[in-house]
Amino acid sequence: MSDFNLVDFFWTWVWPLALIIIHSAAILVILMTVIAYVLYADRKIWAAVQIRRGPNVVGPWGLLQSFADLLKFALKEPVIPSGANKGVYLLAPLVSCVLALAAWAVIPVAEGWAVADINVGVLYIFAISSLGVYGIIMAGWASNSKYAFLGALRSAAQMVSYEVSIGFVIITVLLCVGSLNLGDIVAAQDTQFGLLGWYWLPLLPMFVVFFVSALAETNRPPFDLVEAESELVAGFMVEYGSTPYMLFMLSEYVAIMTMCSMGTILFLGGWLSPIPFPPFTWVPGVIWFSLKALALFFMFAMVKAFVPRYRYDQLMRLGWKVFLPLSLAMVVIVAGILQYTGWAVK
Amino acid sequence: MNDIVKDYFPLVVFIAVAVVIALPLMIAPFVIAYKKPDPEKLSAYECGFNAFDDARMKFDVRFYLVAILFIIFDLEVSFLFPWAVAFGDVGVFGFWSMMVFLAVLTIGFIYEWKKGALEWD
Amino acid sequence: MNQALQFPALQALYPEILLVVGAMALLMLGVFRGDRSTGAVNGFAVLLLVAAGILVCLQDGTASAFHGSFVSDPFARFLKVVALIGSAVTIVLATEFLSAPHRQRYEFAILIMLATAGMMVLISATDLIALYLGLELMSLSLYVIAALDRDSLRSTEAGLKYFVLGALSSGMLLYGSSLVYGFTGTVEFAGIAKAAQNGGLGLTFGLVFLFAGLCFKVSAVPFHMWTPDVYEGAPTPVTAFFASAPKVAAMSVFVRASMTAFPGIAEQWQQIIVFVSIASMVLGGFAGIGQTNIKRLMAYSSIGNMGYALIGLAAGSPDGVQSVLIYVSLYVAMTLGMFACIIAMRRADGPVEKIADLAGLARTKPAMAFFLAMLLFSLAGVPPLAGFFGKFYVFLAAMKAGLYTLAILGVLASVVAAYYYLAIVKIMYFDEPATPFEPMRGELKTVLAVSGLFVLLFFVYPAPLVEAAAAAAKSLF
Repeated sequence: MSDFNLVDFFWTWVWPLALIIIHSAAILVILMTVIAYVLYADRKIWAAVQIRRGPNVVGPWGLLQSFADLLKFALKEPVIPSGANKGVYLLAPLVSCVLALAAWAVIPVAEGWAVADINVGVLYIFAISSLGVYGIIMAGWASNSKYAFLGALRSAAQMVSYEVSIGFVIITVLLCVGSLNLGDIVAAQDTQFGLLGWYWLPLLPMFVVFFVSALAETNRPPFDLVEAESELVAGFMVEYGSTPYMLFMLSEYVAIMTMCSMGTILFLGGWLSPIPFPPFTWVPGVIWFSLKALALFFMFAMVKAFVPRYRYDQLMRLGWKVFLPLSLAMVVIVAGILQYTGWAVK
Repeated sequence: MNDIVKDYFPLVVFIAVAVVIALPLMIAPFVIAYKKPDPEKLSAYECGFNAFDDARMKFDVRFYLVAILFIIFDLEVSFLFPWAVAFGDVGVFGFWSMMVFLAVLTIGFIYEWKKGALEWD
Repeated sequence: MNQALQFPALQALYPEILLVVGAMALLMLGVFRGDRSTGAVNGFAVLLLVAAGILVCLQDGTASAFHGSFVSDPFARFLKVVALIGSAVTIVLATEFLSAPHRQRYEFAILIMLATAGMMVLISATDLIALYLGLELMSLSLYVIAALDRDSLRSTEAGLKYFVLGALSSGMLLYGSSLVYGFTGTVEFAGIAKAAQNGGLGLTFGLVFLFAGLCFKVSAVPFHMWTPDVYEGAPTPVTAFFASAPKVAAMSVFVRASMTAFPGIAEQWQQIIVFVSIASMVLGGFAGIGQTNIKRLMAYSSIGNMGYALIGLAAGSPDGVQSVLIYVSLYVAMTLGMFACIIAMRRADGPVEKIADLAGLARTKPAMAFFLAMLLFSLAGVPPLAGFFGKFYVFLAAMKAGLYTLAILGVLASVVAAYYYLAIVKIMYFDEPATPFEPMRGELKTVLAVSGLFVLLFFVYPAPLVEAAAAAAKSLF
């Protein structure tokens, strides 16, 4: 091209790209750091409920425990079972981890902070989180071990079962909002009633369904039958060690944080302040968002500490016979109310 | 850059960055960790026994059933997405069309429930 | 508010709505009452089919719905009534089959109703989307019905074969539809006709794929391979259904699509139809000769009969369409009677289906043998029975359209086919009697008698059927 201009090229292509890369890297690094402490918090809370101390050796109060774990994983001998399909076996943790992280591209931790502010944000997260099943199926199949295979089957069935209810929950919120954009969903909850105007109150049953389904979708206790150590030792991860194993753990916790953020956005007003006047509105949105997401995570951790594990048939019954009809009915009820009170968003 | 590229290009970059972070983590132990494989270490874990047979075995048909039901209901959800977003614009007719659709699916759901497709014991 | 979001006028499809809602209600009745409700469900299903038929008859003129993709005109109503009769009689024929304790399945009648609803949509379809919707509703129900007797190896095999090949043909039909859509820019038959005035290679390709899919559904050569296996493997009442109502629906959409969507390139599709028709008649005639199983024989008979019906379509004139309609309705009447006999072929130790088992029927069961012989003569086209008139009108239309070779080949093929029909008559009347069958049940007797008398006495007063068919055919032009 004759009119090629290096300066223009830099400002129209290279610079925006560099900005996006920096933005993405920043979000991912912060996310990873948060995950490190969320893991620590998870163990501490669990320990506290059982009146133990939990990790307290590495660093002050054990605060560096997760980083020590990372180092230890990286120095462990990587084992690839001789019967495994090597390619798929190694791809599985990578797929799991990248997919789990990918969801964070659209999550607005504060107004306009998402890397990609796409119009179908909810749909994107819904799609990406359903893809998570692939990592598990691949791991379970490629390991060529009975425990891994059974664990993967169970996990896949469990995740798809609860995904249906999560889908219906999202639909009810969308009915109230009329947009798939995550920013719009938060903005729609911005009323003069503050935290009473967020969707958790009018859609309370759906919030509960969402929370429990999120537990099941992320294979958290009490629905962690996938890795039920009493019967399947570690489920689909049984043949993994070293960092491939760590990537599974990482993706699990990233998925949990994604679910907490989804709960925050859909039901807890995202970055909005709970009390809609100063000085609370002066607090940056990212603080409110983090507080809400971490509060949800605290509930995740408490459930893990308190609730005994479900049996598999109970799990499936809860998903298909309780949550599915309940959430379907709620979709109909919410739609009916919106239609006949004229509250529907034009 | 047109709008769609502008909206979705960051997604691609983000996923690429995620790969760039995850891949070194994955490769690290293969480079730096101590390695001494032996046949016992590389065999599939079966509580200390030698593996009885191939792990890719027949499994319960109910898993297929769950997969089929999932496809039906997830498709239903996918139909609901655009409807929910356009809910204010589709009016009474749009509302009742979807109610008919949901009713038909509910009848199917009742049928499968009564037929025992959801039993797991 | 947007025009598209108004409540549509649904008068044109009240019968279909009645059937579908009724089917769902019966499904709930069945699933809550269990398999012992099979009898009740069957009864209600017949009533609903009859009610739908009455609703169809009450409709008048030409009404359309869904922006013209669904139309209720005399052509549609004529064929809907035939299809509804076929479905209702099938449920009646299946009463005995479904009364055995391990075969009590209320789903049978419900699937028949849903398949019938699909056929009615198919018959009324005036665009490719409605066509595909109807076709799939019909086919999916049929796949399940074929495998209804799921403890029987043959039935499941039949269901699986039918499903795999049927899915293939649906795929071809879809490819054809998308090609046609791509080259004309519309899915409506009227729009396609306008855009297809000049033809074009792409459109012809689409047409060929579309016709291949439809040929599969009417089981015309060269897409007939599934027919004998499925007919033999499926439970006999199911075979009776396959041979009657779905054939009507598929033939109707064949006629409507070629006449209203592709009149501009009639020369091209006529070649296809002529070939398919000749091949079906010849194969139906020759391949039937060696058969020992009567259900397989009926399969080849149906292939041949579809070949004759397609002659009328090849003519491409109002006379031709009228002859197709007459042929198809007479074929359904004869087939149902035939299957009433085949279902009645039952000894104390279970049903039999060898042709040799009919030996000496004239001495053990003279009435059954008489009516069966009448039906066989009619299928062979012996005057003055009904089958003769069916063939007569078809050949007449072909002659008028100048398709002399086709008509002559048709006559010759029917002579070949007559051989195996008459061979059965010979076995019944001149062979030594085999072990007699169990007494025939009342409903089978009724169906056989009605069908036999219809075939026997059709020539006395053929006017209502012929005139209705003429009126129906006129509505397409």
